[in-house]
Amino acid sequence: MPSAIPYFLKCCISRGRWLAVLMLLSGSAFSADFHVTVSDIAAPAFSAHGISLDLSADGSAELKIELLKLPQREFRPVRLRCGGFSLSGEQMVCQHGKLDALPDAALAFSYDFTTHALVLTLTAAGGESWQVQGALGAAWQLSAQMRNARVARLAGLLSQDVARPAAGRLDGSLRLAGDASGARQFSADLRVAELAFSDASGQHAAEKLQGSVGIEAQRRGAGWAWRGNLDWQSGELYWQPWYLQGAHAMQAAGRLEGDHLLIEQAQAELSGVGRVEFSADWSVQRQGLQQAMLRGEHLALGQLFDTWLKPLLGKGVLAESALSGAADVALEYRNGALQALQLGLHDAGIADATQRFALQGVNSTLDWHADQARTARISFAGGQLLGVPLGAGAWTVNMNGLDFSVPQAELAILDGRLSLQDFHCFRTGNDWRWHFAGALSPVSMERLSTAAGWPKMLGMLAGRIPQVSYDGEAVRVEGALLFDVFDGTVVATKIELANAFGRAPRLSGNLAMRNLDLDLLTRTFSFGNMQGRIDADVQNLELQDWQPLRFDARLSSSAGDYPKKISQKAVQNISSLGGAGASAALQRSFLGFFENFGYDRIGWSCVMRNGVCTMGGIGEDGGHTYTLVRGGGIPAISVMGYNRAVSWPELVTRLKRVTQNNVSPVVR
Amino acid sequence: MRTAALSHLKKLFALFALLSVFNVFAAADLEVNTPGVNAIKASMQARHAQLVPFYNSGAVGIGMDGMVAICSAGAVPLAQRQTVNALVNAENADREALYSEIANANGHPEWHNEIRQTFAQRWIQYARPGWWILTERGWVQK
Repeated sequence: MPSAIPYFLKCCISRGRWLAVLMLLSGSAFSADFHVTVSDIAAPAFSAHGISLDLSADGSAELKIELLKLPQREFRPVRLRCGGFSLSGEQMVCQHGKLDALPDAALAFSYDFTTHALVLTLTAAGGESWQVQGALGAAWQLSAQMRNARVARLAGLLSQDVARPAAGRLDGSLRLAGDASGARQFSADLRVAELAFSDASGQHAAEKLQGSVGIEAQRRGAGWAWRGNLDWQSGELYWQPWYLQGAHAMQAAGRLEGDHLLIEQAQAELSGVGRVEFSADWSVQRQGLQQAMLRGEHLALGQLFDTWLKPLLGKGVLAESALSGAADVALEYRNGALQALQLGLHDAGIADATQRFALQGVNSTLDWHADQARTARISFAGGQLLGVPLGAGAWTVNMNGLDFSVPQAELAILDGRLSLQDFHCFRTGNDWRWHFAGALSPVSMERLSTAAGWPKMLGMLAGRIPQVSYDGEAVRVEGALLFDVFDGTVVATKIELANAFGRAPRLSGNLAMRNLDLDLLTRTFSFGNMQGRIDADVQNLELQDWQPLRFDARLSSSAGDYPKKISQKAVQNISSLGGAGASAALQRSFLGFFENFGYDRIGWSCVMRNGVCTMGGIGEDGGHTYTLVRGGGIPAISVMGYNRAVSWPELVTRLKRVTQNNVSPVVR
Repeated sequence: MRTAALSHLKKLFALFALLSVFNVFAAADLEVNTPGVNAIKASMQARHAQLVPFYNSGAVGIGMDGMVAICSAGAVPLAQRQTVNALVNAENADREALYSEIANANGHPEWHNEIRQTFAQRWIQYARPGWWILTERGWVQK
């Protein structure tokens, strides 16, 4: 028997590289115990340090490796005990073996030195078995059959950096064959049940996976040709940023050449989405997609967007939207960017989560190329913006790479129409920029305000929108934004919305309103009727997150000749806005008798800074008092203000109370 | 001798400059009230209720850099991991915006980092016992 030991060691070690072999044979003719020590074995795929083999007289043996290094993994120590061990010139057999690392499993193996046949079996409770068979000659092959095998056993062999199995059962077979030049053929036919795995960060994990995988691969020259199928029946997977639930199925075929994993042709059946065909070139080293093509017809847009696209979008209006309808998609990806996209939309729709906008019945055939000019026609059946219904429309979009323009477009809004001119949207660096001009033909304010859920306003809204542009940070209106409202005009200038799509947008600008009809205005806000015309200027207006930071406001009666009347209720409301003391100026004796009063002028000003409104009246009144309404005609009434400084939030609260409660004045 | 005195003087100036920067920062109003700060705080407050269960379970912890981070994603069911990642990203974006906004409101955008450090200490101080804090030694339970 000792004569066979050097032969065995030579046979095994000759596959690796000698570092140093120290062999000590201890024992004597009087004892049947042998102790063999081998210091180091190093091979490309593994290294072992401090190997010792003890053979006992009772036929058992113990193999111990102090340190076994596999790629990315270390084991120390590894100890295998064989209840029955035999070693002859022909073969080595281990029966009733136990590996320290697998205390619940029984291990047995045999190796024939002549035929180089290897058989290794691992069995455990619950009908679990792993059987490896191999013929390790010049033309070698290894195969493995698993039955009800615990996948978690593989976790110990894998690096901590990759997703490692924690639970699940495996059935099926693996086969690897080759010759002296290396592996030439590989096949796998595996079924998993209740599979769970996770990496250390928990960002790549799965639970209760059930399905099957089949792979066939042959060596072709320096690379491999392969074919595979995946049938994922149930279970869930989180592969950051995607969360997927079964069922999905995929068949694919391709090659592996050097660094490139080529998927030449693949079909995937994506649950709830439809069938897609694709090809891809994946760089294994760079872990990146080099090239890809994808095609799918009549895909369900809702699920496609929710499951596959939304997780890539992060925050934003689009990321909080829902899509519907169907799409035909064909895309080409190359050189790190999308090169072409053909998109057919069939009765598609988009709606944002907070009901701010929606578009329905979108149909389009879009043929976009990164470096070619194309034209697309997009039609839609209708939609809504802030509750206001939008009519049907059809737009022609000129596309030239990441440059989109719409020379002329119309959008029906209630009984009016928004005309867009020279809409242009393009990308510079990482920012999207856009600009447009437009006009709004008269829309009924009554219908508009009702639809938007505002106080019911009367009159018509019409306007001219000069150039509006977005430079990646702020939206700016060049020139004057002009609207007709309350039978007067509103001109907005120097309008700028900084941090437009950020957390706290900041709006600044000036407003000049002329000849607003007080009757329409006061009826709208249930303020108590006033008749006449008013001009209002709001200069240096600054809003942050739509709350005023500062402004200089001034209201005054418009120039010209027109009836001027103010109701008892309006007088009371104005005086209550002025705070305690303002009503002291009311000529109370008249109030009880008259419903309406005449006036000569109305004036009010507010300089708002740091939440405090410093008020003034018609002119430069001295001291603490100021005139808000100067009487004129018969019966006449004047309203004085006495408090110059009022907290802005307090003033807003009072105004809300007056307009919302619609309180009747109490006149004594 | 003269050179040594000059060097000493330089050191004194440097120390003085450092102290005055510190004093100036100490004057920063961290409770400054602007619509921007209010908007961010309101958004963070609304999110806090969603984050609390994840702080409690140890899925999310608090960093010493004034940010929050995933501590143990394994504590979250797979179906909720997208949500918890999104919450952490949104919270950190808000915190970054809050520090900038407070620095801007104080008229000193360059104070951003000091404000962040001060808030970092506050968040840790306000964290409930049992929540996880990311220290130089790794994750530690408060």
